[in-house]
Amino acid sequence: MKDKTTSRILAFFLLISAILVIIAVQAARNIKQSGDSSDWVNHTHATLLEIEALRTALYVAEASSRSYSWSNNTNDLTTSQKALSDIAEHLNITQALTRYDLTKAKEVSDIESLVSQHISSIRNILSTTQASKMETARRLSDADLGGEVSITIQRKLKKLKDRELAQLTERDIESYLQAQKTRWTVWAGVTLNVLLLAGVAWLIKHDIDIRRQAAAALQVANEQLELRVKERTAELANANQKLSMDNLEQQWTNLTLEHQLRYNQRIVDSVSDLVFVLTKTSNISRMNPAVLHLSGWETTDLINKPLSHIVELVDSTDDGVHSTSGSLKLAMKEGRDLREQEAFVKTKQGHQTPVILSMFPLRDQDKVVGGVVTIQIKSNSSNTTF
Amino acid sequence: MKKHILILDDEANILELLGQFLSSSGYQVTPVATASDALKIIRSESPDLVISDLQLEDSDGLELIAQLKKEAPNTPVILLTGVLFDSDVVEKVLSKKVDRYLEKTSSLTKIRKTVESLLAPASSS
Repeated sequence: MKDKTTSRILAFFLLISAILVIIAVQAARNIKQSGDSSDWVNHTHATLLEIEALRTALYVAEASSRSYSWSNNTNDLTTSQKALSDIAEHLNITQALTRYDLTKAKEVSDIESLVSQHISSIRNILSTTQASKMETARRLSDADLGGEVSITIQRKLKKLKDRELAQLTERDIESYLQAQKTRWTVWAGVTLNVLLLAGVAWLIKHDIDIRRQAAAALQVANEQLELRVKERTAELANANQKLSMDNLEQQWTNLTLEHQLRYNQRIVDSVSDLVFVLTKTSNISRMNPAVLHLSGWETTDLINKPLSHIVELVDSTDDGVHSTSGSLKLAMKEGRDLREQEAFVKTKQGHQTPVILSMFPLRDQDKVVGGVVTIQIKSNSSNTTF
Repeated sequence: MKKHILILDDEANILELLGQFLSSSGYQVTPVATASDALKIIRSESPDLVISDLQLEDSDGLELIAQLKKEAPNTPVILLTGVLFDSDVVEKVLSKKVDRYLEKTSSLTKIRKTVESLLAPASSS
């Protein structure tokens, strides 16, 4: 998952960059506009100067021609002629300066027509004076100079000048507003960027704090986990120890019981008398080695066979009750011993060996579960053959 | 310092299992199979306690214990045997000759508790 903080910081920096770009673009535009305004202002001032110079030249031409018509002073003539030359020059310049503005160009053109007409009048006055026609010159001077044409020219020039001045004022106001706008744009952009930078700083600090808290929490969790692992390991070690001990106890129990059984078996196996263990039905379930040694039978020949298969009581009969098996069963059932009964052992080869038989009920918690028969060889037996 | 126990039995399985149990219970254990080896250990290392079987390869456990009581009268002896007798009668007879009598069918825990009681400091016994 993308880190949200990184995305946010990136977004903030993109925004800051965008604002900086906007400020830069706005500033560049304002600089260009300022440049353009400056050019226009210079152009306007030049136009105003030329208009004023034209007006002055007209006044000088009129005054000097009038003065020449009265004084016939060649200085006045010179002055007037120079003034007329200045008029033409200034008029040309004014036309050049206003040629791209159709309205102004038309006005200047109108002024030029009138000025041309007025210049012709002045030249007429000068030539008349030069011709020593003083009276005529004075009359012409009174009629043309300061007359309607002159007044119209001055009015038009003044109107043109006023309009230029008005436009100058408007442009000053526009420049001022533009400068204010630029100032506000820059300050707003800078302020916004400072706020955004503060926001970024806060985001970074917040992120660092969260990461520190997470690291601390992780540290605590790790420590707790380590503690739990240690506890659990100790529990498992204890459980393992207990299991080991239990296992040892079980092994010991099995070993000692086995040892005990083996020892008991050895005792029984060492007895020279014949020992049989009978079930409740007087069948043989176990016997000691002396039985096999004396009788010649194999274990498989005798196991689960009735005792009468190998031993017969001397007083036994074939009827069920008084047979060997019947007598033994009865004694076991009644829980009484049979002691020192005359009997004989039948060997595998068919011989009969006289013996003394004793039977003792085998009890398990007061319940007769079988019997133990012990057989002793009669000491005066002469038929002990196998 | 670990207490030293000498165990004596003619069966290797018994020696191994009992030795392993007593070692894991914090004792130093020396297993031997004959009375002659046992006497050598008793004379050279003076064990703190002796556990002996009644039936040994080269001797009788009671004879060994009589010898031990002569040479190290302060060393407690536990007779551990698997012979089945009337425990009450036997215990009365044997308790005169040994410090404790236990049947082998006793649990290992009981054997250990008996050892602990004999090896406990005199003030707590």
